[in-house]
Amino acid sequence: MWPPGVAENKTTSHTEAKNKRRKRTIVRALGTTCLIGLLGLVACGPATPPARHTQRLTIAWIPKALNNPVFELGRAGAVQRAAELTAAGPVEVQVLVYGSVASDAAEQARVVEDVIARGVDAIAISCNDPTACVDPINKAVEAGVPVMTWDSDSPESWRFTYLGVDNYQGGKTAAQLLVRAMGLTGQVALLTGVPGAYNLEQRVQGFTDGLVAYPGIQIVTTVACNDDINLGVQVVEEVMQSHPELKGWFFVGMWPLFAERGSMPLWEAAAREGRVKTVAFDTLPVELDYLKEGYLSGLIGQKYWGWGYDSVQIVYEHIIQSKTFAPFTDSGMDIVTPANVQVMIDAWKQNDFSRSLPDPFPTP
Amino acid sequence: MTVPTAPPSKLTFTFPWQTLIRRQEFGIALFLFSLVIILSLRTDTFLTSTNLFNVLRASSWIAIAAFGEAITIIAGGIDLSVGSVMALAGLVTGLALRAGWGVPLSIGAGLATGMLAGLINGVLISRGRLPSFIVTLGMLSAARGVAFGLTSGEPVRDLPTDFVRLGQNNLALGRWEVPLPVIVMLTLAAFTWLVLSRTVFGGRIYALGSSETATWRAGINVGGLKVIVYVLSGVLAAAGGVVMTARLGVAAPTAAGGYELDIIAAAMVGGVSLLGGEGTMWGVLLGAVTMQVLRNGLVLLGLPTYWQVVAIGVVIIAAIALDRWRASRA
Repeated sequence: MWPPGVAENKTTSHTEAKNKRRKRTIVRALGTTCLIGLLGLVACGPATPPARHTQRLTIAWIPKALNNPVFELGRAGAVQRAAELTAAGPVEVQVLVYGSVASDAAEQARVVEDVIARGVDAIAISCNDPTACVDPINKAVEAGVPVMTWDSDSPESWRFTYLGVDNYQGGKTAAQLLVRAMGLTGQVALLTGVPGAYNLEQRVQGFTDGLVAYPGIQIVTTVACNDDINLGVQVVEEVMQSHPELKGWFFVGMWPLFAERGSMPLWEAAAREGRVKTVAFDTLPVELDYLKEGYLSGLIGQKYWGWGYDSVQIVYEHIIQSKTFAPFTDSGMDIVTPANVQVMIDAWKQNDFSRSLPDPFPTP
Repeated sequence: MTVPTAPPSKLTFTFPWQTLIRRQEFGIALFLFSLVIILSLRTDTFLTSTNLFNVLRASSWIAIAAFGEAITIIAGGIDLSVGSVMALAGLVTGLALRAGWGVPLSIGAGLATGMLAGLINGVLISRGRLPSFIVTLGMLSAARGVAFGLTSGEPVRDLPTDFVRLGQNNLALGRWEVPLPVIVMLTLAAFTWLVLSRTVFGGRIYALGSSETATWRAGINVGGLKVIVYVLSGVLAAAGGVVMTARLGVAAPTAAGGYELDIIAAAMVGGVSLLGGEGTMWGVLLGAVTMQVLRNGLVLLGLPTYWQVVAIGVVIIAAIALDRWRASRA
């Protein structure tokens, strides 16, 4: 019957692909060595010694979209790790960034196909859609190009690992941060983006479960803003009106915080006076400013920079050192509070996130 | 040849309330009024001046863009690019402000961007003889692309306070603190209403939407008229985008994504017929406000998020059905 046949096909083509890849790497390595040797023969006494790289590793790094600044940060991390690995030798690591302008699953599939046609040694991709990504990823693996996912997974595909954040755990952490800030009793509200988005639902679930242990805290409403800054600002103000007793907010994403001061007068006044405590996801500079000025009590962030830095490292270990990875690689989370916000602000200013954050709750 | 039937006599006696019902805005005004009554009874937060002005302010940029949208629909076309033009105009204004152009000039640059987008739409539609749906669909994508390209996807922030004040400050009118965007909205509503209902140009737009051939036979420059219609739509969308940018204090290339549908819905709920030749600016204003009151009400009532979207869809259809029913009766 069909399904087992297909399954069998998968395994054979998978091994075939691996063999093919190995063969190709060997051929390429031989080719490069020959070329370098030839160069050495031709150029008698070169002014500068030729690079001692015997092998080149080309990684295609594919974000969800090119129009989102957080991916720019990931790209910087990827380029930095590639430069470090190249400097350490003996492999020259090259990162090529490809992507569609806007988040679009179909467009991304085309990009992956183009990348396979161009010929790379590995792909690290953040999937626009878990299902739509399956076929392009599997095609790449069939063509002998190992693939890993980061930020957004495609669990059904043949990717060798997924580097990502545990959103459920992130939601739970947000609940703890909020309880620390507002105390054990009171009303809280949630602001989410597009209702039904998997990562956001996970955070909401984690947050809700995290509050179960605190019967004095009551979630009075959950509002959505369709990932729209303007709508986010409006609904936050509306909830501030309809729930004057509100003591806490969990912004599941950072939408309304993109707007400038003065756009949410009720929330801003309540936050300044300490009547309302807010915890939010992500750690972009705009949010860090809000936190530093006392509007926010805590932030839980993905390691955007690590999306690039760590994924290049993982691909390197997988291909060059033949290391195997579990299907899920936890990228960890940054927890930012007034205690360590300055370090994070400096990291953004210097575009260097290699230092780890100090303890968000230092013991005095 | 068939003998045309006599037009209905204008001399038949009507009760004043009959003319009232016959007015296009009546159905939607009644609907809005009942919504306001229900929300005032069910919540104690709806009928506060803060909330009402918040709702009006949130309606303002949608309404301003919808005035332009309504003009294109009345003229028998459609403009799908309004959301993208809003974002692009806001972004151009933001970039000009950051470049130190000063507030009036920067706003001028934003409006000029909308004018240019509208001009391209209009010329392609009239000279190129392309359907407005296709041309403006292309502009929807192109304008959004330019917005992304200008800033590589980054939002433009740290806008001067002189500009942000225009969107965030209020004007004291007697006892009320009226947000500036609301005043801009009302001014533009009055202006577009005057142009459409009290000028020859306005009459020609209705004529164009009712029958393009008849308008052309009457010796009117249909092509030129169409270009002006789309330029107006572009400029008004840009004005909406600039007002929204001032209110948020940030110009994001992703702003106003999908707003074309809200804007078209506001126009249609306000009694603008997709067939062309029918609709008024006051109706459009009521349509935009109704949509926001509804959305605001659903949040204040605490209806679960997932069902709010459904409720909005149902109400749009119900409001339009009610209007059609009224039109067939009157």
